[in-house]
Amino acid sequence: MAIELGSVRYRYAGSASSVLGPIDLRVEPGRVVGVAGANESGKSTLCLVAAGLAPGVIGGRLEGSVRIDGVDAATLRPHELAQRCGLLFQHASTQLSHTTATVFEEVAFGPCNLGLPVAEVVTRVWWALRTAGIEPLASRDPARLSGGQGQLVALASVLALRPRYLILDEPTSELDPAGTQLVAEALERIVRETGAGILLVEHKTDVLARIADEVVVLDHGAVVLSGSAAAVLADPRLAELGVEPPAGVRLERAVRASGLEWSAELEEAVE
Amino acid sequence: MTLSSVASAAVISGLPDYVIREPRGFYHSLNPATKLSVAALEVVAAFVIPGWLGPGLVIAVLLATAAASRTLRGLMVIGLAALPLVVSIMVVNLFVLPGASDPIVRIGPLAPTWSGLWFGLMTTARLLAFSSAVALAYMTTPIDDLLADLARRGLGRRGMFVIGAAVQMVPRTIERVGEITDAQRARGMDTEGRIWRRARGLVPLAAPVVFGALAEVEERTMALEARGFTAPGRQTLLRVPADRSIDRALRWLALAGVVAVAALRLAGRMG
Amino acid sequence: MTAPGSTAAGSIAPAPSVEFEGVSFAYPDGTRALEEVSLRIEPGESVAVIGQNGSGKSTLVRHLNGLLRPTAGRVLLEGRDIRREHVAGLAERVGLAFQNPDRQLFAGRVSAEVAFGPRNLGIRGQQLEERVVAALEAVGLGGEAASNPYDLGYSRRKLLALASVLAMRTPILVLDEPTTGQDARGVVRVRAVVERAVGEGRTVIAISHDMSFVAECFRRVVVMRAGRVVVDGGPEVVFGEAAWPELRAAHLEPPRAAVAGARLGLGSTPTDAALVAALVAAGRGRG
Repeated sequence: MAIELGSVRYRYAGSASSVLGPIDLRVEPGRVVGVAGANESGKSTLCLVAAGLAPGVIGGRLEGSVRIDGVDAATLRPHELAQRCGLLFQHASTQLSHTTATVFEEVAFGPCNLGLPVAEVVTRVWWALRTAGIEPLASRDPARLSGGQGQLVALASVLALRPRYLILDEPTSELDPAGTQLVAEALERIVRETGAGILLVEHKTDVLARIADEVVVLDHGAVVLSGSAAAVLADPRLAELGVEPPAGVRLERAVRASGLEWSAELEEAVE
Repeated sequence: MTLSSVASAAVISGLPDYVIREPRGFYHSLNPATKLSVAALEVVAAFVIPGWLGPGLVIAVLLATAAASRTLRGLMVIGLAALPLVVSIMVVNLFVLPGASDPIVRIGPLAPTWSGLWFGLMTTARLLAFSSAVALAYMTTPIDDLLADLARRGLGRRGMFVIGAAVQMVPRTIERVGEITDAQRARGMDTEGRIWRRARGLVPLAAPVVFGALAEVEERTMALEARGFTAPGRQTLLRVPADRSIDRALRWLALAGVVAVAALRLAGRMG
Repeated sequence: MTAPGSTAAGSIAPAPSVEFEGVSFAYPDGTRALEEVSLRIEPGESVAVIGQNGSGKSTLVRHLNGLLRPTAGRVLLEGRDIRREHVAGLAERVGLAFQNPDRQLFAGRVSAEVAFGPRNLGIRGQQLEERVVAALEAVGLGGEAASNPYDLGYSRRKLLALASVLAMRTPILVLDEPTTGQDARGVVRVRAVVERAVGEGRTVIAISHDMSFVAECFRRVVVMRAGRVVVDGGPEVVFGEAAWPELRAAHLEPPRAAVAGARLGLGSTPTDAALVAALVAAGRGRG
């Protein structure tokens, strides 16, 4: 039971060269896999491939295999993929349907598209709102929310389809620290309460340090580092790969670089 | 199961009030399709019934309906907004009506005519009747209700999405153009000075709107797919406006009215 | 050897002082965004404006080039009220780089995009070309002059938008969230640009959520909450323990170095370097 990418290479339609590959990756339920890398290192493409939307919806050529819980993603229709892998992007406003008057109806958009009975839709909506932590926003106009709130609404709308996996492409990049915090907390809660598996692309390595179990780093479309979050985020090669290490790691380096000892006391103070 | 009990079924399944949004009040509580049919009858009557009877009757009915549904103020606003058009219609007809030979007075080369006055007033009355009929339907029918009713009558999710998103698109685009204008002005583009300098601003204002919209298309498409937009079968409708017996009766009457008016006119009974 | 305030592609005019005198602003729909803000920024200062979304930061900086006009109070440049000046005219003195590059990119070539600003200011010919080249170099896009802006990724488009404002060589430079959405290399570029601008004697004002960027690159930090300035001072003051309650009320967190320094009783250490220096000074951690 996992999202499994085996020897995956992908190139966009009309493009001569692979933008992604070779990639081997595994996302299991209950685990958070973080993805870091410079811009244009293939992170967004990885999200689309893992969710089955590339090449399924946007075309292009895929080599290797993408399997979701043992099923080849290429055999699944987009609405079937949506119920297995929820996909979230950076910009909250492009993810809204812009056809609904309240957050409740926005979150109901997905289940309604699936033709579920009204009672079931209502149950799912309340569950999704609660899990994302935004029940009080249910009556609000989705177009008038702050960035952080908008992202949580997008998250709830995807949760309402009850996917086993969530794939998030830089969900906090446009958010202020408070909004980032809300999203990080929501993700932690989701893993805890639903056992979902999460693939999270993030620049903010502090967020990865907080919630990721494993981290992979991409460079020019290939995985160049992978391992436990703690190990990868402390790897000295991060900077040259275009990834800023988390604050704690940077501090430790600065202290050691000046010849001082990194004691347990310091370690604790920095936590 | 009649449509009024669909609303009760929805209440039983736990839909909150702010989702059901049952319209109340005289005329507001009619089904959207009914209001459109009535508006259609009013427009046909205003244009097809000759003389003052057509527009006069329609305007009287509209004013009465507006008063009873508390939308009189809105109607006045529409009337005021139409003022420039009315003035130009009057001016054109007064002075330039072809074939008119009964001047009111001669002021140098200008000779306003009685026929021009008559014709101008008649055209104005028809214009006001038409715009007021449309305005009344618009003011008493929230767009969501209209869409929901269309969906019940068979409009698929693509149709619903296109209309709903297009409606929301207008304020969004206006906002976007505002942001773009700010950014270009901040780089020295002149929007307050002489007209020929301002004309140079067309591309810097229009291009980002287009590019921005295009750049978003892919992400928006995928966000829709991720919410099951292309799932087969009919979508669930959370809220459906009631369609009572009075609605059906009024629609039949409206249809009969349109047919009668057209037939009588064609048969030459109205002169 | 160039004199301070001047660079290869022409010198930059001396920066005017900036003053907000009791500025209040309410949007047409009634939302109040600024409440009696009084603030003075000296020529050449580097100021970071921080606060939660909705605290008034963007509204504040848009008063600097006349995009917004106060509903009460005045905005003064070098002591003169800018109320009557057109935005296009103010653009000569105040360059504002917006957060979202896709709301301004319109040209088919990167070089044309960068030339737009200075061209509007009347710069032509050789001087214009030099400015474009210099600005692209400063943001690391030197090799992309002939590229289409939309062939660049988001973070490089943001750098392009920054270059287009840099090329205007305004004595006051305002940056709205320059590091948001940038990868590590992009952030390095932005920091270099800020440092260079400060070195050239420009006044640099930036809105940011990145607390270490703020603590490390700016001499003064202004904290906003609900349309008011609640804390105003150097990073040691604003991120010092005494100001933490105000920061938290504004939904902000101090940089990790400041938190560590406080826990270790080392006083205010807003940056990694300050923490290290304080450790050295206190003789801690030497074997």
